[in-house]
Amino acid sequence: MIKFQAFVFSELPTRIIWAVIFLTTMGLLALYSISQHHSGDFLQNPFSKQVLFLFPGLVIAFFILFIERYSIHKYSYLMYGVGIVIVALPFLGAKTVGTYRWLDIGLPFALQPSEFAKVFTTVALARYLSDHNLDMKYFTSIILPFALVLIPTAIVLNQPDLGTAIIIMSPVLPMLYWAGARPFYLFLVMAPLFSMLTAFHNIAFTTWAIILGVVIFLTRPGRVLSLILFFGNIFLGLLSPVLWNSLKPYQQNRVLTLIYPEKDPLGSAYQLIQSKTAIGSGGILGKGWGEGTQTHLKFLPVQESDFILSVIGEEMGFIAILGILLMVGMMISQIIKRSYHSKDRFSSLVLIGIATILLSHVFVNTAMTVGLIPVKGLPFPFISAGGSFLMTSFLMIGLVLKLSVNYSD
Amino acid sequence: MLKAENIVTYSQYLVSLLITWVLVIILVLRYFQIQVLSHDRYSQKANSNRIRKVTKTAPRGLILDRDGHILVDNLPTYVLTAIPGELIHKETQFGNISSIIGLDSSIVAKNYKKFYRGRFNATRLAKDLTFRQISKLEENRLNLDGVYYEQFPERYFPSDIKASHILGYVKEVDKGVQSNLKNKNEYELGDLIGWNGLEQYYEPFLKGSRGTSFFEVDAYGRTVRQVNELEPHPPEPGQNIVTTLDYHIQYTLEEIMKNKKGVILVSIPAKGEILGAVSAPDFKPDLFTGLMLEDEWKSILHHPDKPLINRFIQGLYPPGSIIKTVTAKTMMENPEFDPKTALMCDGSYQFGDRLFGCWWTQGHGKMNLTDAILNSCDVYFYKTTHYYDLDVFGNSFRQFGFGDKTHIDIPGESIGNVPSIKSMNKRYGRYGWSRGALLNLSIGQGELLVTPMQVLKYINLLATKGNTANPHFVMTNDKGNDVTLQLDSDIWNQIHWDLRQVIVDENGTGKGAQPNVDQMIVYGKTGTAENPHGENHAWFVGWMDYIDAQYSIVVLLENAGSGGTKAAPVAREVFLAFEKKQMVSFE
Repeated sequence: MIKFQAFVFSELPTRIIWAVIFLTTMGLLALYSISQHHSGDFLQNPFSKQVLFLFPGLVIAFFILFIERYSIHKYSYLMYGVGIVIVALPFLGAKTVGTYRWLDIGLPFALQPSEFAKVFTTVALARYLSDHNLDMKYFTSIILPFALVLIPTAIVLNQPDLGTAIIIMSPVLPMLYWAGARPFYLFLVMAPLFSMLTAFHNIAFTTWAIILGVVIFLTRPGRVLSLILFFGNIFLGLLSPVLWNSLKPYQQNRVLTLIYPEKDPLGSAYQLIQSKTAIGSGGILGKGWGEGTQTHLKFLPVQESDFILSVIGEEMGFIAILGILLMVGMMISQIIKRSYHSKDRFSSLVLIGIATILLSHVFVNTAMTVGLIPVKGLPFPFISAGGSFLMTSFLMIGLVLKLSVNYSD
Repeated sequence: MLKAENIVTYSQYLVSLLITWVLVIILVLRYFQIQVLSHDRYSQKANSNRIRKVTKTAPRGLILDRDGHILVDNLPTYVLTAIPGELIHKETQFGNISSIIGLDSSIVAKNYKKFYRGRFNATRLAKDLTFRQISKLEENRLNLDGVYYEQFPERYFPSDIKASHILGYVKEVDKGVQSNLKNKNEYELGDLIGWNGLEQYYEPFLKGSRGTSFFEVDAYGRTVRQVNELEPHPPEPGQNIVTTLDYHIQYTLEEIMKNKKGVILVSIPAKGEILGAVSAPDFKPDLFTGLMLEDEWKSILHHPDKPLINRFIQGLYPPGSIIKTVTAKTMMENPEFDPKTALMCDGSYQFGDRLFGCWWTQGHGKMNLTDAILNSCDVYFYKTTHYYDLDVFGNSFRQFGFGDKTHIDIPGESIGNVPSIKSMNKRYGRYGWSRGALLNLSIGQGELLVTPMQVLKYINLLATKGNTANPHFVMTNDKGNDVTLQLDSDIWNQIHWDLRQVIVDENGTGKGAQPNVDQMIVYGKTGTAENPHGENHAWFVGWMDYIDAQYSIVVLLENAGSGGTKAAPVAREVFLAFEKKQMVSFE
């Protein structure tokens, strides 16, 4: 049974709470500005829809505050199993906008179960790493945790949703690092991936080869192993363009659409130009709330979710963006601090995992709006419109608040 | 309770904080660069140069007849649009436009409301404008801020044939249509979408893909230049489709069916290619394009003969005697049946307490199967119903494609009704019907209901001795839809012999269809279907071997009377048209 437990409000990390309130408010302000143009149905108006989802979000967060810490640990595998099932469920239904991301359970809106799966996977991984007093000094001991995460990742990748798949994967490295795995091993796991990705670009590949060499030189894993590692990776890198070219064009296309789901590359170039113009023209103080020409002339695409930061940048200026980013940095630092001070390893791992998920969302979304990385549809926590992710964000904050206080249980 | 202790070290904590703040600072610096350092550049871009995506309608594919005559074409017209946000005095501007192009200003205002979807989106005011009207507008350019025009390919029917039920029509996508579409994002308001007939069935082929180009517009929405950095996509026209229709045959059929009510179908049996198809009364194919007057629309919608109904796929008719060959086939499959045995017809047949009459009330006398078919004797078929039961009978019909879709490439076909023991029990109750029902069914009356298209498929099966393809309107290389029916060759030969006698015997009910032209060998069957709603329907179905070719025909005249005297002569007219065509092609 889930046990319930009272909590002391004053012990909660107030800075995290303030950050959440600040970010949510900024999101609602931006959505209200956009919503002037959305007449008609209540649920088609991003502002009212966001407000509507805020309530279940808060309920979830409060619910978690009241349950006992041990229950979270106890039911984590069960929730992981549930997570896998609900992520697979949309495959039984119809494709929505060409993907299997959405689950229609008869509500007037569809849910995106992969959002919840992020949290369940992280908590299950935290339990595994804390239960098994693994000697993280061995390379083999980091294989199973990877498998745990790869299952939901593979399913989400097939939906196909590369962005969310990356997010589900993102907590693994920091959590393993937190659990005591040697950074060198983590580096080894990631090395082949980098070798293959950088192989298509001369300068990138050279830089990568140098980094690889330096790391291997500094860690001195033994002469034979060093040679195998170094040349194995270089060979893999050299081989991958050959492998790529041996694929049939339609197979290549399949991979490319996975990485660039925007079928129309013109579309994403256009989106980026409009986003940068919106942000750049906002200046330090912005054009004023509800005054953004890029936003209100509808030049800015998907402005309520992926490009919400461009709306804020245009209308409220660099000041608001700076405030948001500093607030996020502060919030994440606070979570990391609580994780460091946590007495038990499970809580510590959940906290660092959630910090990673939040930071990944923020980084990918923000970097995308200014063209630092290719356009990927990932929302900004607490600000972007999107019911499933908003509820997930509050679920994560509930866990953070709960686990960041060191009770005696 | 959670026993595993936290083992995070201070250095791990510091590394994590460092990574976090490095990422955050990268983002802050990038925003600083764009928003503060490059602010002037982007500001100028946003204020004086805005990129607007302009899409251009792609013309739909043409529809051609089998020889390349254009049946449906595109006519370049002009569409007048307005950017709502740029209109200064809407009412006076609409007034100006109306007086220049000579259109009622209430229509302009109505369209504006209908197509409005935002302050900065082009909204349609009027369509089908000619070059002259546009020239006039251009002369008055200065009074019309915010008003634009673009070319729009409208559907246009250059040929003399109507073929309205085949070609179907297109509809403008408005908000109501758009919200019901599955592939919403492929259509913009005001686009054309196939809404019936071939236009609908072949929509994915006929529809082109929109062109997009990017223009820089200034703060007033005026185009400054095309943005070459964003590569434009020219509109891709839709694919043309080549129909199986023969322009001359279709024209002849339409002429024949003028002022008549019913259906004529003509096809090439082996391939299932339909050369001509008329559902009369029909309507002008351009009924749905351009400005339709409310009265005109209502007169067609409420016409007692329902011209909008596509009779050849949606009309359900009792087949009458034209299906006696199916009954004959069913009996011949019973080894106890002998087609040579003659039975007596004295004008009626007593079954239980009911008297079933023959259409020839004086009685045909002694009849074998061939006699019964060529005279279309009913009593012979009443007397032979003990050779099969209802399910065997129904299965024969299903073998010939009745009670099922013909898979014709026009949407909305009906499947008719072929009764079975189960369906009769369901309808009348286990004891609510008797074998007497079979007597009615054996001569094509009762619960049997067919569409003329199903009848065409049936005739094509007979003509080819069971090797045809589903009837279709568009040329295809696909051999996958071959329809075969394997019967004993004796049965096929008997059927061909009998149907030939219907035409050539002096008593044959179908002799009115005999064209008496060299090399024209006609086979056929008449039908006079009783129907509860009025005068009998007249049927003639059959085919003709002519030189190297074979043509099948289905004639149905609603409430016209007897098949032999009304429908057979119509078939003859069609056969003669082939002679004329043959002579033309020899010249």
